[in-house]
Amino acid sequence: MTAAPPPPVGAGIGLRQPHYREVFERRPALAFVEVHSENFFLAGGASMHALERARAAYPVSLHGVGLSLGSADRLAGEHLASLKRLVDRVEPALVSEHLCWGGVGSVHFNDLLPLPYTREALALLADRVDHVQSVLRRQVLLENLSAYVECRHSEMTETAFLAELARRTGCGLLLDLNNLYVNARNFGFDAAERLDALDAASIGQIHLAGHDVVDDCLVDTHGAIVCDPVWSLYADAVRRFGPKPTLIEWDTDLPALDVLLQQAAQASDIADREVAHA
Amino acid sequence: MPELLAFQSDFAAALRDRRRTPAVARWLAGEADVVDRRMAIYRANMVAAADKALSAAYPVIRQVVGGEFFHGLAREHQRGTPSTSGDLTHFGATFDAFLASFEHVQDMPWLPDLARLEWAAHLAYGAADAPDWDAAVLAAIPPERLDAIRFRWSPGLAVVRSAYPVVRVWTIHQPGFDGAFEVDWQRAETALVARDGFVVTVSDCPPADASFIEASLRGATLADAASATLDRHPDFDLGALLGRAFAARLACGVID
Repeated sequence: MTAAPPPPVGAGIGLRQPHYREVFERRPALAFVEVHSENFFLAGGASMHALERARAAYPVSLHGVGLSLGSADRLAGEHLASLKRLVDRVEPALVSEHLCWGGVGSVHFNDLLPLPYTREALALLADRVDHVQSVLRRQVLLENLSAYVECRHSEMTETAFLAELARRTGCGLLLDLNNLYVNARNFGFDAAERLDALDAASIGQIHLAGHDVVDDCLVDTHGAIVCDPVWSLYADAVRRFGPKPTLIEWDTDLPALDVLLQQAAQASDIADREVAHA
Repeated sequence: MPELLAFQSDFAAALRDRRRTPAVARWLAGEADVVDRRMAIYRANMVAAADKALSAAYPVIRQVVGGEFFHGLAREHQRGTPSTSGDLTHFGATFDAFLASFEHVQDMPWLPDLARLEWAAHLAYGAADAPDWDAAVLAAIPPERLDAIRFRWSPGLAVVRSAYPVVRVWTIHQPGFDGAFEVDWQRAETALVARDGFVVTVSDCPPADASFIEASLRGATLADAASATLDRHPDFDLGALLGRAFAARLACGVID
């Protein structure tokens, strides 16, 4: 399987429409930028033009939120075809999807819904990931999810599931440390311990983001700065796995670009420090 | 039924109807009240996704009715016509029909037409970029063949007819609009939605021009579109329309 060269190890940001102009004018030093694939399933127009400008300036990571790899009944072929057209057009450095399902039957919830981590689900996901990688003719990264409920019939942890999926399919992993932390808090486990299941070589990217707290539950809003425990987890991950392309992800209540750049700089500093101490 | 499909079917049912939560709770860890609160987060996400998608496609309607009421419209529309795709760009294609039937917006009978206008603008925004085309090539077509040519209209071009002043309503809600806000509610307007470079334009289209463009968009030849238009609009000036259309790059080619 061939793959475009991965982005240089370093920090990038999620590129969102309100920041386009400023990013194109200032050209801040970033290892890569990431966009949501589905926002660019368009034939042309202003959004596609902006993506082409971004692609000319930076390596681009395409991050999918709607493929719904884990839907028990079907994989949406037209969605995969749209992603294929976009991948061929953009030649991205990274392509990622979520370990989740989003719809069943004819209804799509346009959300990232948790799977039971069972052997049945693993067999299905392995088939789907094989299919997607063969259609796209490249490796994809699968991201761990933030969740608010967990299945009592799961037979393994999410990280063990992902590690086995990577082993079976050759897919890479997108390790979202905020998601891992959110779940650790919501379900009462030790986030750092879960990293034990993962193989450094399989990890293609790390996501960092902020979350919100609603009653007794951490909700993954991507609308805040990265919290201290997640920065600590990041330092731990760099010690374990080495430096990886790392994304600051921000989707709601988008702040000034400088806030994202500061968070990206903080990620770079932590990675540099951990590498220097290694 | 395979276990995964059974689980997802129960989960989906609980998202669509809170009363079905006990069916999914049997699959989930945690006490019933916690599961109920956590499923409510997913239910809110589902409505938020519909709101976000519809807000992107229908920014003027959102301004007209207000964000809170619009959120309710999104929830109700989704209830009756849920999303069927992981690509939310497609969600909202039938919002006009929903608005035409939803009882709480019947005091705004122009809303469905405004929705059709905004959906056409939404499609135009992401339409393919029109290739460069020089209308001078028309001069090279032998006169006896001109009647049979068909125009290739620029992607995204659409005509939206209304008995209401929808172009005016759309215009005064655009960012940066600083003119007077008066609306002549007796005025019927036909919108011509187009792309000028990357910018979506909406203009008030004379009925005769609209008639010609609609016929031509349906694939009529130049002669057939012109004669159908002249039947209803004897003062239709084809040359003037084509001059304006070429200047605004509404056409991007001919099929000779």
